[in-house]
Amino acid sequence: MKKQIFTILLAACLVLTLWSNGKEDKTSGPVTVQYILWDANQLPAYEKCAEDFMAANPDITIEITQMGWGDYWTGLQTDMVGGTAADVFTNHLAKYPDFASKGQLVDIAPMVARDKVDTSVYMNGLDGLWATKDGKRFGLPKDWDTIAIVYNQEMINAAGYSAAEANSLNWNAKDGGTFEKFIAALSVDTSGRNGLDPNFDSENVACYGLALNHFDDRGQAQFSPMAVSNNWMYTDGLYNANYHFDDPKFIATIQWFVDMTEKGFLAPYEMTANNANPLFTSRQAATVFDGSWMIGYYSSSSEFPVGFAKLPAGPAGVKSMTNGLADSIWVGSKHKEQAWLWVKYLASAEAQNTVGTFGVVFPAIESGVKNALAAYDAKGLDVSAFTEEATNPGETFVYPIVDNGVKISEIMTQTFDSIFLGVTDAESSLKEANKKILDLF
Amino acid sequence: MRETPNKRKRKSLDKQGAGALLFLLPSLIGFAAFFIVPALRGIFLSLTDWDLLGKPGFVGLENYGKLLTDEEFWNSMLVTVKYVFWNIPLQTVLALGIALVMDRVTKSSVFRGIILIPWLLPNVVVALLWLWLLDPAVGVINSTVQSWGMKPINFLTSTELALPSIAGINIWRHMGYTALIVFAGLQGIPREVEEAALIDGASPWTRFIRIILPYLRPVLAFVIITSVIGSFQIYDTVAITTRGGPITATYVIYLFIFKNGFESYLMGYATAASMILFLILMGVSFLQMRIMRASESDF
Amino acid sequence: MSNSNSALNKKTGLTKGILWALTALLLFVTLFPFFWVFRTSLTPKSLIFTEPTAIMPSVRTWTHYGRVLGLIDRARAIELGGTGQSVNFGLNILNSFIVSIGVTIFQVLFSSMAAFAFARLKFRFREMLFALYVSTLMIPSIVMMLPNFVFVKDLHLLNTYLGIMAPTLLMTPFAVFFLRQFMLGINRELEEAAFLDGAGLGVVFWEIIIPLCANAMMTLAVITFINTWNDYMWPLIVGKKEEIRTLTVALGIFRLQTPQGQPDWGGMMAGATLAMVPTLGILILFGRRIVNSIGFSGFR
Repeated sequence: MKKQIFTILLAACLVLTLWSNGKEDKTSGPVTVQYILWDANQLPAYEKCAEDFMAANPDITIEITQMGWGDYWTGLQTDMVGGTAADVFTNHLAKYPDFASKGQLVDIAPMVARDKVDTSVYMNGLDGLWATKDGKRFGLPKDWDTIAIVYNQEMINAAGYSAAEANSLNWNAKDGGTFEKFIAALSVDTSGRNGLDPNFDSENVACYGLALNHFDDRGQAQFSPMAVSNNWMYTDGLYNANYHFDDPKFIATIQWFVDMTEKGFLAPYEMTANNANPLFTSRQAATVFDGSWMIGYYSSSSEFPVGFAKLPAGPAGVKSMTNGLADSIWVGSKHKEQAWLWVKYLASAEAQNTVGTFGVVFPAIESGVKNALAAYDAKGLDVSAFTEEATNPGETFVYPIVDNGVKISEIMTQTFDSIFLGVTDAESSLKEANKKILDLF
Repeated sequence: MRETPNKRKRKSLDKQGAGALLFLLPSLIGFAAFFIVPALRGIFLSLTDWDLLGKPGFVGLENYGKLLTDEEFWNSMLVTVKYVFWNIPLQTVLALGIALVMDRVTKSSVFRGIILIPWLLPNVVVALLWLWLLDPAVGVINSTVQSWGMKPINFLTSTELALPSIAGINIWRHMGYTALIVFAGLQGIPREVEEAALIDGASPWTRFIRIILPYLRPVLAFVIITSVIGSFQIYDTVAITTRGGPITATYVIYLFIFKNGFESYLMGYATAASMILFLILMGVSFLQMRIMRASESDF
Repeated sequence: MSNSNSALNKKTGLTKGILWALTALLLFVTLFPFFWVFRTSLTPKSLIFTEPTAIMPSVRTWTHYGRVLGLIDRARAIELGGTGQSVNFGLNILNSFIVSIGVTIFQVLFSSMAAFAFARLKFRFREMLFALYVSTLMIPSIVMMLPNFVFVKDLHLLNTYLGIMAPTLLMTPFAVFFLRQFMLGINRELEEAAFLDGAGLGVVFWEIIIPLCANAMMTLAVITFINTWNDYMWPLIVGKKEEIRTLTVALGIFRLQTPQGQPDWGGMMAGATLAMVPTLGILILFGRRIVNSIGFSGFR
């Protein structure tokens, strides 16, 4: 009896195993273009785009797969090795130079020229990020982001600041400007004194004025707003590798952050090494710096009203890093022409207007931004801090794209770890780190 | 021995060569296809400059030469060895203790079941769960500590505690599983032997050292050798909780391999590092078998 | 037996008290995180970080379970702070069952055949071959991953059940090793008698070895099932397509969505709770058999 059951189970398994065979690629007739992205919040927007696109192109089916950021790149790489990657994938500035230099991306410059795509419609020089110095192009911009101050409205009101005041703070590396006073006023110790009180107890802080994620080589939402507004720049420009982490202006900026930690205005490294936003949502920090892609997160996971303010203006004015995504075509795609049609569509005003209406991301074309602002407005969110930085001339900069990104990131992360843990001082370790980076090239 | 059965037995043994092949065949196919061939490919790739996406080009022993002088590599090896020393002794002692409790204090199979539960969660979930529990700002453990008026403990964010904390997380997941195998070993100890010792007036400690441990030695050897192999390959927990930091406190060898292979596109180099890890594991396992006389029995 | 038990287990009141206290502590340490998993799965998103010490959140919700089970439509799920990607729970759990049961049955069967050969049969190069089997335990799995992926792709098995099962379907070194150790401990008398009666190898294996090893095989089966159920990396790269995703892979979407984001804690904990139900069931069903009577001979 037992044996019979076993045999039946065995047989059942064999049948199940054999029954599940892979589908073969169709070579003629309607074509399926595979598309992958990582942000699930954007999935509905792109599904709508796919729907519209398929209505206009009945011969092409768009199949969208979403994979979270954590698995996205490893998954994509194994698929490239196996020759099964998606035709079109959402690409990131930190990742694309490697894919490009290893010949995995289709150079779309000839197609752009052939179809006379106007690349001047995109905002803030985003377009240049996806074109290389030797005239190749690996993507058309589809969205952008900027950085702003995210604050707890109740807390800034309690500290006597209005939204307008928070929106026009200034900063310098010497005395921290009005921004330092702002975060001092927002810091509260366990006895209820704030950071402006001379008896403020920096050892027992109940709420920090500012919390930041752990620092890496870009410091996108950490040091970059301060350092760049202090007339500093990472390197001498796009594709340049002459790093300036040893510049006195940079060292002074980092030293200011270290001082803020010691004064108890900035949450210590140990509390934010993993992630700073839990401190904010749990009311243990009054403000954070974060990117526009996190708007939805903060507004939905906080129990208090959240506001967004422009970054403080340093000696060089307001400076926000701007970044953008684009869609790239994989070199192994069997349907490059159809894939290009899809990429071109996603970079068009029509698609970006559609994406805008979902209010999850800022499209790269200005008309789409208007839709996005309207959508955020409908949710009761004033996100103009992000868009003003993007549209005011000179308030954004782009991150320099370089080789050896992974090694640089590793060196700088470890350097900042040891600075903020108090193992080494800012000046000597940054100088040493910069030397190590220059030695990579 | 009588003659006829022996002869007949030998006759049946003669047929065993062919029979053995039949019995081994399915596993041999799987072994060759999914273990030996990839391992050989690994050896080949470790001699190339494969960048993951291009064609591998033969470079001889260059990768190995570079690894020998690569400070990061040896540092990550050292961190891994430290991790193994945090992980294995504590896990084994705990497992032994739990197994004794299962055997002597409560025979309840509910207890045995409960102890196994952490092992039912996937690695990744365990890592995220503990990241959440140990968080200095919003984790329940530190919130409790703070409500007692103490400073939060920086489990995963200080250079001293990060590695032991990660070891603790993995001990939590594996101790029940390990204890169960030790418990199975305890069942093999003849009661009479211990009874006799008890009648002779041996203390519990003497009984433990003289009887229980020697009987358990083969099982403990199995447990320790397989856990050490697993422990050297720690990755998920680190990748999720500390990503190698603070500074390089938890930068283990697997992270080194993964980062070089998949992020820096130095797959040939990463494969060579894996091969060195393999050789080290072979050496360590061989040494352990010798020390624990794993293949011999005391009785 | 009961007599000797009581003699051996006689403890003074104090020792007993300490032992029970330690046992209680152990149970607490083991179970508390699970309680926290469950508690978090009932916590609304806005309270996740605001009531970190509350034993139970002030407001409880079952919506995370609704999202995991796909009972809540996508727009609403995003509004609740979830992901836009839906988990097709029924399909994913079926996939996990097919893969885990398939691997368990075949791996245990074929590995026990190999273990029988290594433990009982004499053939040339036996020790060498066995040493080779065991040594592959020590090859870092990362070395195997890419070649195996390419091989499975060349067999046109990507996105199939067979592709996900392939590397562990026919054997794992651990399974062969584990079972061989048990078989070495089995008394030879029965088999020898059977051989004398002229029984063939097949009969000896099926009628004598398998019944004698039933508990060990059951133990291995449970270990294999749970490991396969929880496997993440391999099914992720081989079975990306929605219709083939296993549950563990599908629940991966509750992890990081964007760089610097937070995992979807509520959804993840609800998913983890639900994903544990089958493995817990297996443990309860077979747990007694596993632990009650396995003899183990360690290394031979």
